[in-house]
Amino acid sequence: MAGLMEDAKYMIQSLLHPFEAFYQIKFVRRNNYVLPTIIMLLCGVTGIFSYQYTGFILNDNPLFMMNSITIFITTLFPYLLFMISNWSVTSIFDGNGSLGDIYIVISYALVPKLIFDILGVILSSFVIIEEAPLLYGFMAIGTVWFIFLLFCGLCVIHEYTVTTNVVTLIVTFIAAIVIVFLAMLFFTLMGKVLGFFYALFSELSKRW
Amino acid sequence: MRVKWSLVWICILGLMLAPVSASAATTFESNYTYDFWGSLRTNRSLPAFELVRTIDNSLLEQVKFQSIDDVHVGGGRIFLVDATDSRVTILDENLQFVASIKLLRDATGRIIVNPETNQQLMLNKPEGVYYSEVLNELYIADTGAERIIVLDGQTYTYLRTIERPDNMVGVTQFKPSKLVVNKEGKISVVVQGSYEGIIELNRDGTFSRYFGVNKPRVNLIDYFWKSIASSEQKEKMGKTFAPSFNNISIDPEGLIYATTYDSSAQDWVFRFNAKGENVLMENGYFPIIGDIHRYRSSEESKFIDIAVTDYGVYAVLDRTRGQIFVYNFQGDLLNIFGSTGNLKGSLKDPSAIAWLGDNLIVTDRYFGVAHLYQPTEFGHAALAAEKAYYQGRWEEAGAHYEEALHLNTNYDIAYIGVGRNYLMQDRYEEAMYYLKLGNARGYYSMAYAEFRNLFIQRHFIWFVLGLAGIAGALIYSEYRYNRRQDLPARSGAN
Repeated sequence: MAGLMEDAKYMIQSLLHPFEAFYQIKFVRRNNYVLPTIIMLLCGVTGIFSYQYTGFILNDNPLFMMNSITIFITTLFPYLLFMISNWSVTSIFDGNGSLGDIYIVISYALVPKLIFDILGVILSSFVIIEEAPLLYGFMAIGTVWFIFLLFCGLCVIHEYTVTTNVVTLIVTFIAAIVIVFLAMLFFTLMGKVLGFFYALFSELSKRW
Repeated sequence: MRVKWSLVWICILGLMLAPVSASAATTFESNYTYDFWGSLRTNRSLPAFELVRTIDNSLLEQVKFQSIDDVHVGGGRIFLVDATDSRVTILDENLQFVASIKLLRDATGRIIVNPETNQQLMLNKPEGVYYSEVLNELYIADTGAERIIVLDGQTYTYLRTIERPDNMVGVTQFKPSKLVVNKEGKISVVVQGSYEGIIELNRDGTFSRYFGVNKPRVNLIDYFWKSIASSEQKEKMGKTFAPSFNNISIDPEGLIYATTYDSSAQDWVFRFNAKGENVLMENGYFPIIGDIHRYRSSEESKFIDIAVTDYGVYAVLDRTRGQIFVYNFQGDLLNIFGSTGNLKGSLKDPSAIAWLGDNLIVTDRYFGVAHLYQPTEFGHAALAAEKAYYQGRWEEAGAHYEEALHLNTNYDIAYIGVGRNYLMQDRYEEAMYYLKLGNARGYYSMAYAEFRNLFIQRHFIWFVLGLAGIAGALIYSEYRYNRRQDLPARSGAN
């Protein structure tokens, strides 16, 4: 519990002083994944929350066919995909960050986005259509902040210059697409193989 | 014991009573509508129209329908065009036979003979008909003979022929297929396959102009190639022509409605202003494209006719699935019904649609029959609501919408209607309740803005107190901060 509070201190520091805080996290403090995991789970829950509780005027979602597990997964999926593809790219590009470091950076960077998203959902119940752009502008602050923190954090943990970081980020996106493609290929093929064995089994079981 | 037996007898007698609404059983299967999400799960609807009668050869005496290609209702009569037999059959409102026109007669009752060719003047594959109540004239688009024939509206004697005007420009062949005539006698003619638009003729038969803009859909790839091609290359490329109109209708205000099923068209239903621009309102959940669940282009709705009531509700007939889509003037989809097939009431080859009061006549070219649909109790309520709303009787419209809601709780348009009515009465909370159910976010936002204003006005003191509290806290903290800053400075000075 005390460690968690210590982590929270670093997290709050990282919001306004990302370079220093992420440096401290990487080199001074040993990695602890409880707080980042809590933030990640909260992020998924926020996805569900905003799907369901965004005010009626701005909420076009068919709530009667809502599936919270799907929303949870689809909210977290891009971040985890980014984590994996960034890790695989930076291992080649001489990045010093470990998978755990990247995980911590992403989750701490998500904090302002989380806060602004939740605020946006709450405020969305009190706006009318004409005020919607203002609300979206307000929520965009969180997203911009998130991107800024992510960028700084990755710079620090990989010990990159800005240019290298930009290049690795571009490659990261390409790698993410490749990963998705391979995953789809894998699952399709696995499905075919399983289907074959299933057909074999049902054929055999009908004969004997 | 006697009581028991009498109860049994009452039950048996009750079973012998004939079911009251037998005809509704023929239409309930195919009635549906689309909700806000276009969801297939929630779109079943109560029937708004039910089949009451079929107009077929049993109504006629000697000559029979070979096909029915167009139907028009005007002056209390129904005009049915048979292109195969080159005949126009006229029935009255009670579906009694009135007249049948093939050979044209003059005022004295003699058959007209062309003195040059010595041939009788008779219809040649007509495809359209229009009766002008103001002018008391019957216009027949005599497609096969490339002319328009004008008859007297009561006696059906021959008045005049309008042939291709001498001053007509463009490359469109003068093969009138469908036509309407406005109150001033201007004739608007649709020629199938013409990319120049609707032909507008003056009352005397001279050419006025081409009318109606039908924008083609722009293909992104074509656009790219055309943007880099040289002008010589462009000449060799296939030209993109404006899609052609296939049918036309006119409302009592004189605005012309048209349809197209050309796959390259952007819009499929048109309502033209005097300049020829499309001013159709599409404020419903979906644009006016008929069926929205389209996986292949062959499943797209293809509109072949449109019928407009005098209160803005219009019905479009779809060739793909023999369906009739009923929209109100704002573009809300009221109901979808009808199907293709060989069953009674189904259409094999749908050709035309017309309103007979609040009833709908739908014709089938293949079987040569027309089906008469009448509104159900729910349909009556829905149409009455639209009528009252269109004519500006808001209160009455609200009452009718509520009646429709009692009959069909899945009727989203009525939720909007009721909510809109409350909104106009400044009853915002009720309005918000109904508009939320109707998924009308625009109206909901209006109601909510007013509701929020009232809320702030009513609780203004709390907002003031809250703001004052925050301001006070800020000032106090500043004050304390400055005092704490000041103290050591002062002690340092001392």
